[in-house]
Amino acid sequence: MKHEIVGNMLTVIVDKETYPSDVLYKCFYWYSDNYNVQIFPLDHFNYKVTLQCKVLEHNFDSILEKIQQDLIDFKLRDIVAKETRTVRELIIAKAFAYYDLADNPSTEISDPVGFNPDII
Amino acid sequence: MENSSLINKKSNRKFKESDYYNCSHSEYYLLPFKFHRINATKEILVNEVGDFIIVPSGTAETIISKKLLKHIDEDLYADLISNFFICEEKVPALIDILATRYRTKKSFLDYFTSLHIFVISLRCEHTCHYCQVSRVVQNKDVYDMKISHIDKGIDLMMQSPNPNITMEFQGGEALLAFDKIKYAVIKASDEAPKKNKHITFVICTNLAPITDEILEFCLSYQILISTSLDGPEYIHNKNRHRPGNNSYQLAIKGINKCRESLGNDRVSALLTTTNLSLDYPNEIVDEYFNQGFRNIFLRSISPFGFAAKNSKKNKYEASKFLNFYKTALNRIIEYNLNGEFYREDYASIILKKILTPFPVGYVDLQSPSGMINSVIVFNYDGKVYATDEARMLAETKDYTFQLGDLDVNSYNEIFYGDKAFQFAEAWTNESLPGCSECAFQMYCGTDPVLNHQTQGDIYGHRPTSVFCQKNMEIIRYLIELMDSNKQIEHVFRSWITGRN
Repeated sequence: MKHEIVGNMLTVIVDKETYPSDVLYKCFYWYSDNYNVQIFPLDHFNYKVTLQCKVLEHNFDSILEKIQQDLIDFKLRDIVAKETRTVRELIIAKAFAYYDLADNPSTEISDPVGFNPDII
Repeated sequence: MENSSLINKKSNRKFKESDYYNCSHSEYYLLPFKFHRINATKEILVNEVGDFIIVPSGTAETIISKKLLKHIDEDLYADLISNFFICEEKVPALIDILATRYRTKKSFLDYFTSLHIFVISLRCEHTCHYCQVSRVVQNKDVYDMKISHIDKGIDLMMQSPNPNITMEFQGGEALLAFDKIKYAVIKASDEAPKKNKHITFVICTNLAPITDEILEFCLSYQILISTSLDGPEYIHNKNRHRPGNNSYQLAIKGINKCRESLGNDRVSALLTTTNLSLDYPNEIVDEYFNQGFRNIFLRSISPFGFAAKNSKKNKYEASKFLNFYKTALNRIIEYNLNGEFYREDYASIILKKILTPFPVGYVDLQSPSGMINSVIVFNYDGKVYATDEARMLAETKDYTFQLGDLDVNSYNEIFYGDKAFQFAEAWTNESLPGCSECAFQMYCGTDPVLNHQTQGDIYGHRPTSVFCQKNMEIIRYLIELMDSNKQIEHVFRSWITGRN
């Protein structure tokens, strides 16, 4: 991650493939209390993120490490969200569906004491 | 027992050899979960139904990067499988269990509105500087609820699908209109059996006007009393001024009188935290304990009504409140560790969400929000509001959350009208910026009214939200306390079960 500090503005260049726009917006949303944040494509491969501090004098040293960590965290969250989207939708759909379980769950195990739920 | 042929040749229930269960490969799939760093060395993983695991920092990255090795991290792997963080199939075999548990978490929606607040009068003889109600001192005819509005409010209340409803009388000072309360309680009690409803009655009062006649009536109808106690006398009287400066004496006298007549468990007290209170957390906790209360609700002040206008007195940063809260909470924990049962109610609500599969009835910590879904307010003038805070906003000429008028609108127009649908876009934290990725989502809620009042729109801005800042830190702190000290976890669990 390349960066540049000029006055009260920090500019960060991030790789598009590693950190898509979803990740960037979710990550830098949390910086919008203390900074004016702008995100825009720099070229085919990178995004440019500018953080302009809302106070005149500011030390960006501590924030750089946090940005790197936060980008990783939100990237991980993005991976989980994308991989689990279908299962999550299935859980919620099942949670609020109205249906009766008419069939017994299929299984290889029979009941050793001879209980047959079909006769109930 | 029928013959053994029923144990068919497919297989039987005997356990397989241990090799059957020990696979050399660690291929697994992720299930929905979120994570958050709770301190420098630990992070918390929370799954879709609120189950959590506390792990060393960096574990989430290991899991998500598919670098977790079953034969090396056997215990962690087993915990993740059994708690639905990962699974060895694309779709877990027990997905129906997950779905049922998710539904249980949202089961507070099953029966819709339960709490019906009747603002029976805006009159009050106190002049509390933080008053969120913008109370008045006189003009009974204008500021007391009309009988016709009481009738219509009861009629709407009986149309709620919920078989268990609460009718809560607020003010101003509700007891100044006791005749109207009597009428409302008797009428609602007559109507309830016809609609198969069970009603709980609550009166919110400063107890200054309490009389034996009122107590006798409360006893007959099993009415609960909710009053205010802001701490020791010097804090309470400073916050809650009345002519004679004897609000504290009247409150204590009233509390004892209510306990004698109604029983200890029929009287509760609420604390309102002000700038003055912030300097006395231990004193406030001790005062409640010394007055015989075994629970206290440490809540921050809402920026509504007079409270917003008295910004010098009441506006404080969330961080100052959090310092107060943690100090008071630790004092309460100390009581418990010394053998006394003493519960902090806000923590208990959150702990119930963390430690049990069940939802809570506290409207400010629900998603979807408790507004309309759990609570509705019928104001003294016949207007209907989405929450208690919404009617306080109206006293400042902000009618954003006014849903209708008892004289004009039907049940459907009020509860399912255009405004309700508009608010629905912002009342689930699952879809709000910042909240959608938050590990504490299942433990938290939304408050569109607070967002509107403090930030200018119903969606809110999480980085500057006092609601977010407060709740995230309290939840984090509770989890950190439990993780650091098993005795404290035991105390917290006793708060949920009610047993020391």
